[in-house]
Amino acid sequence: MFFKSNKKSQDQVQGFSHLGENLRFEGEIDCKGEIEIAGKVIGNVKAKKLRILETGSVKGRVLTDDVEVLGHMIGNIESVNILIGDKAIVRGDLRFENNLVVLEGADISGHVQKNKKEKIKRSDTEKVKYLEHNKIAS
Amino acid sequence: MPSVILRDTKLQGNISEKDSITIDGIVLGDIKAEEVIINENGSITGNISADNNIEAGGQIIGDLSSDRIHVVNSAKIRGKLSHRNLVVEEGAQLEITSSTRKKIMNNKE
Repeated sequence: MFFKSNKKSQDQVQGFSHLGENLRFEGEIDCKGEIEIAGKVIGNVKAKKLRILETGSVKGRVLTDDVEVLGHMIGNIESVNILIGDKAIVRGDLRFENNLVVLEGADISGHVQKNKKEKIKRSDTEKVKYLEHNKIAS
Repeated sequence: MPSVILRDTKLQGNISEKDSITIDGIVLGDIKAEEVIINENGSITGNISADNNIEAGGQIIGDLSSDRIHVVNSAKIRGKLSHRNLVVEEGAQLEITSSTRKKIMNNKE
């Protein structure tokens, strides 16, 4: 299997946790490492790295550093990096800090927001251009 | 693929799995599966019921029910066992009441 408990190094965990296809879990998950979900989870998930596989489905809030959604996801995602796969179905808000990747074919409905506050002045400059255009026209 | 829960993971809630599940982490809640393997670092507070086999090597507080229960030497168990076959290895710390049954009714979903 993934672990060989000959060495008792408590801080380093080799591999990742896996919740299988036939698993159903209701409650809270708190993972300090990597976790892969192929089954059905109802409840909040907190992890460093989360992968929701194609057969997986999560209903609840997700709070991670890295998240890959390849399956179903209902609920808000808050993460540093988000990747949405081409067969993914997401219902809920996406909040990310660094990177958001959405592959072609993904089904998303919800707000998408970058969490770090960066002033985007493009809309302002467009407004100025519009006003200038109006001036010239009149 | 069977489920694996490593020791950096904590689950709070009930698990039901139609396959095998290996636990090296912390589970607060009931577990229902075909086979449950609890490793040395595993810690479970809740009842475990398996169709075929329970291999208990970690800390368990709760009732165990299965056809076959194998208690490994690193186990610490407090609760009731209900089984057809029971194996206990030398060194296991137990505070249990145990009963052998001819037939165990596992209510499958």
